[in-house]
Amino acid sequence: MSAYLISIATFTGFFMMLALALNLQWGVTGMVNFGIAGFYGVGAYTSGLLSAKVGLPSEVTILVAPVVAAGLGACLAFLSLRLRDDFLAIVTLGFGEFVRLILLNEDQITNGPRGLPIPDRPLAGLFDRGDYALFYLALVAFFVILSYLIVERLRKAPYGRVLRAIREDDVVASVLGKHVLRFRVQVFALGSAIMGLAGALYAHYAQNVSPDVFTPMVAIFIWMSVIVGGAGNNRGLLIGAGVVMAILEGSRFLGDAVTFISAPDLSALRIIVIGLVLILMIRFRPEGLVPEPKFKASDA
Amino acid sequence: MGQMILNGIVSAGLIAPPAIAFTLLFSVLRFPNFAIGGFMTLGAFMAYAANISGLPLVPSAILGMAAVALAVWASDRIVFQPLRNRQAVTLLVVSIALTLILENIVRLIWGNDVRGYDLPLTRPIRFGEFRITIEQLWILLVAVGVAVTTHILLAHTRLGKAMRATADNGALAEVRGIDTRRIVAWTTLYAGALLGLSGVLAGLDLVIEPRVGWNLTIPIFAAAILGGIGSAYGAMIGAVLVGITEELTILVLPSTYKVGVGFIIIALLLLFRPHGLLGEPVIKK
Repeated sequence: MSAYLISIATFTGFFMMLALALNLQWGVTGMVNFGIAGFYGVGAYTSGLLSAKVGLPSEVTILVAPVVAAGLGACLAFLSLRLRDDFLAIVTLGFGEFVRLILLNEDQITNGPRGLPIPDRPLAGLFDRGDYALFYLALVAFFVILSYLIVERLRKAPYGRVLRAIREDDVVASVLGKHVLRFRVQVFALGSAIMGLAGALYAHYAQNVSPDVFTPMVAIFIWMSVIVGGAGNNRGLLIGAGVVMAILEGSRFLGDAVTFISAPDLSALRIIVIGLVLILMIRFRPEGLVPEPKFKASDA
Repeated sequence: MGQMILNGIVSAGLIAPPAIAFTLLFSVLRFPNFAIGGFMTLGAFMAYAANISGLPLVPSAILGMAAVALAVWASDRIVFQPLRNRQAVTLLVVSIALTLILENIVRLIWGNDVRGYDLPLTRPIRFGEFRITIEQLWILLVAVGVAVTTHILLAHTRLGKAMRATADNGALAEVRGIDTRRIVAWTTLYAGALLGLSGVLAGLDLVIEPRVGWNLTIPIFAAAILGGIGSAYGAMIGAVLVGITEELTILVLPSTYKVGVGFIIIALLLLFRPHGLLGEPVIKK
């Protein structure tokens, strides 16, 4: 397998983790999150800073990142106590931009726009330079599968039934004696943890993180993965993440073929295409490529 | 200190017109339209295109307003109208996609360069210890004009009353013989004109670049929510408070954090007074 394919597959893995997390928060529970880049960035910088500046081994820091992201996610979820869904969207979007602002401006700690070099890589001593990329892909795949199993298990469990009830009508859920806020905080924290983990894995893969990676565009890519794949459905969004990556990377090949379009024009065109596909999907196939399975009484 | 409050009032002049547009759109269409940033950028660039082809700034700005009014109306007809019965969140995702499309169309045509309108350079006017540029004076005048026009529209015209009735209860307005689709169309045209104008003002005070609208989006939301979303007067007061708070935080925080202030205001407000300062508390469901 060529180095290029391995790197694409690794990036698709990060997307899949983010999409699984968003699906838990929004697809299953109905909590909107537009601050995905914020949690992804917090994860990346937590692990990166602890490893590059404090000197902790990356095997440890990668596992600290999701804890920090989960804490922040829980705080934001408390805000949702009295919030309509669309206001939560504004708060989370603001959170994401705020994180990016801090990463940019606190340059004595984060190196600001120059980016933070992160030399340490997990278990780097065990592999040859040539094999390491493949090992890292396996590591990311392991965490994708782990996230998938956790999220899918939760979705099918009685716990997931409560989450869907909250999504459909939180008043009814609370009348039935479910502590809606507690469920929301737990789910948001868990989703944020997965996003933070993805960020940490990204940081030690790229070995250099800079704030311009963590823009609201990340949220758009992930929302598109979930909507294309089918909200509420974990298998579909794995396909969705692949489709988004195919559009992003496919246009790069197109750029090699049609040389009369300049690189900045091409990246603008790419975003226009993604926006259009998203709008058309919502308009004509809102259930996505793989619709959420209907739950029968016998499944429950 | 006095100069900072003056600067804050100038930023309020930048925030108020789009906040009014945002809140008007919200009150009849019932979802937060994130595409306001993209439309402002479009307005700034349309006026720029007219301006560099030789037209003076005022007619260029009017052209920009007309173009954006049509664009907002068309976006509602083509994109949002078929989705009317969907959840607010779905419409919100669509509006984010729309703002990205608009921003990148602008980028495709004009590139990423930072531009400015063709204006003579002037000295700031001084009175006593205060300084203000001609452009900033214009922004203040226009913002006051927008506030007055919106007040007259909402309080004293048939169209404005019908707009308020539609916002209050669409079905009831329909029963009373108001053609709500026509009212929605007029609201999009008016809000669009305001957004076009806001883009030009932002281009005057800051610079003209593809992200100019996006960068103001969070403070605009903050102003609209602060004033109680759906309330045009609230949006004006919210804009003044956000503008002054942003400037005063420079006393305690580096100026690069100005944008973050909007977010903090939103978060605190939603936590303690989710219906805004002027809005009525609404019981959910």
